[in-house]
Amino acid sequence: MAEFIMIIVSAVFINNFVVVQFLGICPFLGVSKDFKSALGMGLAVTFVMTITCLITYPIYTFILVPLGIEYMEIIVFIFVIAAIVQMIEMALKKFSPSLYNAMGIYLPLITTNCAVLGVAELVIDHGQIASLIGLASPDMMNMGFAVLYGLFAGLGFTLAIVLMSGMREKVARLPINKHLKGFPIAMILACFIAMAFFVFALV
Amino acid sequence: MINYLLLGSINVTSLLTVIGIVVVLAVVFAILISVVSKLCAVKEDERIGAVSEHLAGANCGGCGFAGCADYAKALVEGTATLSDCGATSNEEKEEIAKILGLPFSASVETFAVVKCAGGNNCKDKFSYVGNKGCIEQNAYMGGKKLCPEGCLGDGSCASACVAGGIKIVDGVAYTDKALCSSCGACIKKCPKALIELIPKTAKVYVACSTKCRGKEVMNACSVGCIGCGLCSKNCPENAITMVNNLPVIDYEKCSGCLTCVSKCPRKTIKEI
Repeated sequence: MAEFIMIIVSAVFINNFVVVQFLGICPFLGVSKDFKSALGMGLAVTFVMTITCLITYPIYTFILVPLGIEYMEIIVFIFVIAAIVQMIEMALKKFSPSLYNAMGIYLPLITTNCAVLGVAELVIDHGQIASLIGLASPDMMNMGFAVLYGLFAGLGFTLAIVLMSGMREKVARLPINKHLKGFPIAMILACFIAMAFFVFALV
Repeated sequence: MINYLLLGSINVTSLLTVIGIVVVLAVVFAILISVVSKLCAVKEDERIGAVSEHLAGANCGGCGFAGCADYAKALVEGTATLSDCGATSNEEKEEIAKILGLPFSASVETFAVVKCAGGNNCKDKFSYVGNKGCIEQNAYMGGKKLCPEGCLGDGSCASACVAGGIKIVDGVAYTDKALCSSCGACIKKCPKALIELIPKTAKVYVACSTKCRGKEVMNACSVGCIGCGLCSKNCPENAITMVNNLPVIDYEKCSGCLTCVSKCPRKTIKEI
């Protein structure tokens, strides 16, 4: 049980993918203009991350490692991610056209989102992931942990992008300097959020 | 020799496993994607495809949409009109109107001209060293030209033209009538709004847009209009009227006699 709590705290707060590890910055700045599309984007990334871990972890452990071709990991992972994103795109187009339109180019860009590839690469590195989520030994790492880490890493991404969208919505109505309007102020807000999350690493 | 060595170092079995795994994964995902695409097929209006077949396909963006496919969608949905597109010929537009069941009247074929001949003929206020691009330069004190309506010559229009029909010669933009499809992309890029569409049958155009008075123009530019009105007085068809000290040509009346070109003391009215 303690491990699960550690995974949640580690993936969502201490090692938040966006504001601590600086992965997946592109959609974080691009789709955080309004709350609704930010939440949609966050959930889409969460879904892709979870499914990616669910598929890439067994592929790596049960196919690539026994055959001794671990160096194929990136090609295979990109393969999996691209296919999943394709399917999500088609499903969204069918079931939620408004969300599909709001996400625009950022939806197919999940394919090249480094946060997704990052989580797939992270969960197969048993030593590093064990130290991140506080496991006693790297051998304890298994598929359940991998999928959970993927899920909560995605939720951490969602949390960051939703926080950002809330701040941007507020700031958009403030009478701020013309030169800071829009993207520049978003960079400053991202800095504040990153500083806030940095506190978790100090605890 | 080097080739032989490289080939010798490759383990054929592991190469085959790698290829095999990638092929298997590819097949699995191809099947999955095709199944999902069948399940999640969205019915698209088939008129969109039919309409986009008749569009020019220049993807110039002159209509204000993201490309011809986007414009076709907007046409079918009724949020765009046929006159938004300048690149498609009248015959093709008639076909589109038939598909959509809209009334259609042929528009006059037009092309773009730059209503300024200043460039190096027009003096500079200062030497500009900032970012390239007319919009950027215009943001800085209205650009370097002494004439507030002078062509800045940084070629934002030229880079917007998909046909490559605009050239910067001696610091001022010139359009090529033969290459112009009158899409209007350049018009949107000019911060001075110097580019205008005129009928393809036109013989002359006024190469100046200045709002300055005669004396200021004399000081700033050697080819600027000083508003003397000689063209208007001498036009046999009365096709030229003076509006705000600038001649405006009524192309319906103009017979192309070129009297105005020969009478203009500043050579501002140019023959095409």
